[in-house]
Amino acid sequence: MALRTQFQNSSEIGVFVKLTNSYCLVPIAECEAFYSVFEGELSDFIKVIHTTIGGCRVVGTLCVGNKNGLLVPNSTTDKELQHLRNSLPDSVKIARVEERLSALGNVVACNDYVALVHPDLDRETEEVLADTLGVEVFRQTLADQVLVGSYSCLTNQGGMVHPKTPIEDQDELSSLLQLPLVAGTVNRGSGAIGSGMVVNDWIAFCGRDTTATEISLIESIFKLSDKGPNNINQMRSVLVESMTS
Amino acid sequence: MASYNFKSITVVPPAKELIDIILSKTQRKTPTIIHKHYQISRIRSFYMRKVKFTESNLNEKLTGILAEFPKIEDIHPFYADLMNILYDKDHYKLALGQINMAKHLIGNVAKDYNRLLKFGDSLYRCKQLKRAALGRMCTIMKRQNSSLLYLEQVRQHLGRLPSIDPNTRTLLLFGFPNVGKSSFVNNITRANVEVQPYAFTTKSLYVGHTDYQYLRWQVIDTPGILDKPLEDRNTIEMQAITALAHLRACVVCVLDISEQCGYSLQQQCDLFNNIKPLFANKPLIVALNKIDARRPEDLSQPEKDLLEQTFKKDANVLVIPMSTLTKEGVSEVQNTACDALLAHRIEQKMAGNKVDNILNRLHVAVPKASQEIRQPHIPEGVLAQRAAGYTKPDTIRKLERDLEEELGDDYILDLKKHYDLPNPDDKYDDIPEVWQGHNIADFVDPDIVQKLEELEKEEAMLEEAGVYESEDENLTEEQMEIREKAGLIRKEKAIIRHKHRLNKHRNRTPMSERVIRKKQGVKRARSVSTVAGDVAMEVDSKFQTKKIKPGRDVSGLRDEKQVKAVRILKKRSQIKMNQFGRAGEADRHIAAKLPKHLFSGKRGAGKTQRR
Repeated sequence: MALRTQFQNSSEIGVFVKLTNSYCLVPIAECEAFYSVFEGELSDFIKVIHTTIGGCRVVGTLCVGNKNGLLVPNSTTDKELQHLRNSLPDSVKIARVEERLSALGNVVACNDYVALVHPDLDRETEEVLADTLGVEVFRQTLADQVLVGSYSCLTNQGGMVHPKTPIEDQDELSSLLQLPLVAGTVNRGSGAIGSGMVVNDWIAFCGRDTTATEISLIESIFKLSDKGPNNINQMRSVLVESMTS
Repeated sequence: MASYNFKSITVVPPAKELIDIILSKTQRKTPTIIHKHYQISRIRSFYMRKVKFTESNLNEKLTGILAEFPKIEDIHPFYADLMNILYDKDHYKLALGQINMAKHLIGNVAKDYNRLLKFGDSLYRCKQLKRAALGRMCTIMKRQNSSLLYLEQVRQHLGRLPSIDPNTRTLLLFGFPNVGKSSFVNNITRANVEVQPYAFTTKSLYVGHTDYQYLRWQVIDTPGILDKPLEDRNTIEMQAITALAHLRACVVCVLDISEQCGYSLQQQCDLFNNIKPLFANKPLIVALNKIDARRPEDLSQPEKDLLEQTFKKDANVLVIPMSTLTKEGVSEVQNTACDALLAHRIEQKMAGNKVDNILNRLHVAVPKASQEIRQPHIPEGVLAQRAAGYTKPDTIRKLERDLEEELGDDYILDLKKHYDLPNPDDKYDDIPEVWQGHNIADFVDPDIVQKLEELEKEEAMLEEAGVYESEDENLTEEQMEIREKAGLIRKEKAIIRHKHRLNKHRNRTPMSERVIRKKQGVKRARSVSTVAGDVAMEVDSKFQTKKIKPGRDVSGLRDEKQVKAVRILKKRSQIKMNQFGRAGEADRHIAAKLPKHLFSGKRGAGKTQRR
């Protein structure tokens, strides 16, 4: 299932939210409308937690996590860390890392098994990442972009990468990550996929501007509906039609 | 891509109104007071300005009109033809041409009269010239009244044209009047086209939109057309023909097999054959409508043969029965039409080079099977929900949003509500976790009780061992006496010191800093001499006698004569400074650039520079 939503008139919801298979972090805002979208869909199954990171609402950009753990940047205050610890289930490990590239969500894309990271990420951070999240780490770029977290989205069932990623790179990444991958867009043609949507193994939330074709692509590649990635080949003509004017 | 939105063209006023607008603007925005005793150049420029201003305003208006109306050559041929049919291309071009001409004429009038105004020798003449110029401009505009009225009508009509995008996915309906084209459009879109049981209910193009396969499709309803030669067709029919000719759409040809529309199947097939050249290179669907009245099976053999002969020859033509009344087969027609058009468009795009840029986005990279299988983590609840098919829960959960709306301003976000703690009572613990920027956990020592006990034990042991017992008690008599006396002496000394301090500044005249310094200097010198004694007498005198330095104004000068010369030079150099009231050589201050009293006010006679 994929839903459209927006945070205070912004469709870039991946910037604000962090969604994993065991918890969901939502920023503290003036009004609870945005929180309740996630609460209504998810709180039967996983924790939906209000939080800020270092006083900022851009939670999705600043932290990175999966089912096993959560990595927060150095700017996180003790209070926030304590709040996260109290709210998260005990199975989720939390680590605060001293990293120059403090927007961890922008520089890391991960699922529960593998992670793509910015080529300049610190060695120590990489180790902490591997230990806390229990992932295999690969230093990569996507379509010559170093911000892999902003330009891609991974779950255990599939992944979507920047629309300019060449076919060879997609194949290489796919065998590296052991995931079906497709190059796509969200929010009516935006290539910032990680910033434009959040997804886990059973549900996706995209920006309000996302088109029907984009949604169907997302549902197919992340196996959110009955149709799997094979559906993409069937939609081929629709995709061509919607992508060319 | 050019957008075809003609709704934003500004209103074209009729000539009379335009003239009023322009003249009143001239009156409002240019100076109005002039007297005949003013200098003639001033009078001339006053009137020249009016003429120029009027001209530029008119020019602006007319240029605006010319720019906003679409140029027939620049727009999509569909719109060009449609405009030709609806407004007559020649008339339209002529009207715009005349407006352009008027613009030039007005420019020339303004130029001519400005030239004449340069030679106007009195206020009266200048005024007459201005009047003549404005009058001629107005006359030119008045002559354009018919063009302006026509353009206004065109504008109003253009604004009401349906916004058809000629390049997008389009289904185009076509058929005799009253065969059910409009009801088909009403069935698949929300266009709400008027449907009436008489011919030519639809008199212009209508557009509706529908969704299929995640894409948006434009459905165009056309007026019905009769079977007659092209030159005999009226404006209403020509609109349909234009759409058929220029839009790269999927054509849905609607036939009435019940013949309730008043035209026989034979006539309808003839029309189809006559129009056929317009369908070249377009996917074509034939919809046999009104099957609720007469099933296709009920057709007589000659009619069946006729249909067979007309449509089945061509493999690309699909014949589908439908009924817009019972909605039977309607969606089938729509889906078939959309699929056919999509396939057609894709084929064309594949032939071009447009697809090359997006090939990477059509590719699904699937990893080669590996030994390790990575399972997704989907909670049981989600799987159960999926299996049951997303049903609405019986009890609707109260969300934070609902709570917020219920409480209004009293709502406070409770962050601790969902804490996951071993002891639920700890959620709202009074002792804060972080206090004044300090994490309390940092200051908590888990072994504090044990450590305290150890310390107490040690203390008790020390006490028992007698570490704290003092040895003061056993002093001798003599020692006690000495101590007592020493105490008294200390006390006395303290009193003396204090008294001295109190008397220190009594009975002394106040002295200036300089005097004090001098005295101290002397004292120091004296003290040196007394301390050093006779031996240092010679050295002493050196310290005491102070050499008088010459003043700075004479230092470095050879003799009295030179001093005098220098003094004269100095005075001379100061003359200018004093004259302008300067503070010194470096004073370059300018009090006021234009002293008001010198530069303002009327002057009866005399010079403007200085009085």
